[in-house]
Amino acid sequence: MEKNGKGFSMPKSSLKSTPSKDDSSQKSKEGRKVQFNNGGSPEERFDYSKSNGKSSSSADKGGRGNTANVKASKSKEKEPLELRLNQELLKNAKCLMDCEAAEIIQGIQDQMTLLSQDATIKLPVSFHKGLQYSQANARYTNTHSVRRVLDTLKKHGVVEGEISVIANACPESTEEVFALVPSLKSKKSILQEPLEVALMVIKPLRKVDSTSV
Amino acid sequence: MFFHIVLERNMQLHPRYFGRNLRDNLVSKLMKDVEGTCSGKHGFVVAITGIENVGKGLIRDGTGFVTFPVKYQCVVFRPFKGEILEAVVTMVNKMGFFAEAGPVQIFVSNHVKIQKDSEVRLKIIGTRVDATEIFCIGTIKDDFLGVINDPTTT
Repeated sequence: MEKNGKGFSMPKSSLKSTPSKDDSSQKSKEGRKVQFNNGGSPEERFDYSKSNGKSSSSADKGGRGNTANVKASKSKEKEPLELRLNQELLKNAKCLMDCEAAEIIQGIQDQMTLLSQDATIKLPVSFHKGLQYSQANARYTNTHSVRRVLDTLKKHGVVEGEISVIANACPESTEEVFALVPSLKSKKSILQEPLEVALMVIKPLRKVDSTSV
Repeated sequence: MFFHIVLERNMQLHPRYFGRNLRDNLVSKLMKDVEGTCSGKHGFVVAITGIENVGKGLIRDGTGFVTFPVKYQCVVFRPFKGEILEAVVTMVNKMGFFAEAGPVQIFVSNHVKIQKDSEVRLKIIGTRVDATEIFCIGTIKDDFLGVINDPTTT
């Protein structure tokens, strides 16, 4: 291979198999150093890690940045909120907000009054408790709008369980959201603005409760 | 919190229920068996919302009962660690108080004066799951948690 190849052109695709000086092939597995000598420019050094083959001149920074990102994501994986872990347990389940659940359970109760010809079908205690609880916590006048607005947060990485907690809590501020759902704190910078917008939109949809202060 | 989930169950039906109303009988038996129960994995089954699929029945040797695999949709209530809930206080004792959120009972160890029928916002810090029941422990000693409504002031 020519050492100072004038006609050597750098391939734009992955450089893992870049031909280089004999020295570099004997170097450690962690990185390869390739030296290119162009016509009029001084020597330029590119460091390539095995994992990526970026060919930009900022590969140095890029390489370091990538390893930093890999480490950061690993530490995030170590401390997930239980809500996230249990999303895997209930893979086929759709997470419901209390207002959505109230609508569904109320619908079933209405059906039951029609089907009450069969006296042996009695609604269990947990049904009534579930209905009572969901109706007490159903605080929005329009559940579909709330669902649509909060689903926009999904593209910022918020999972369904977190969206339900946010909806059920009726938070006044983004501070409250980050305090109640600590798993979102890591994405605070990304989520701050979209969350503020979402809360502003759903606030007028709240039912006015005469007993609340 | 509430979930909408598809579950599957093998239902055994006695031949006396066969005939024109086989499917209806199967569905009512399912409702009697499942609604109101609690499993550690899915939580409390609050209500069945629909039947997705009834598979082919298999006659069991020796008994004559037929087993049908039934897929059904239902609303379940399953509390999770880290979840924020609003619950109503049902019992107060020296160690703390019991609060109820839907079909779930949550215990909070607390020394602030609290009354029965108050509404509290709490965070679930632990769940113990049995084969048929779920017990929860909660806390109100965190940001944005605590008593919401006091029955004496309203």
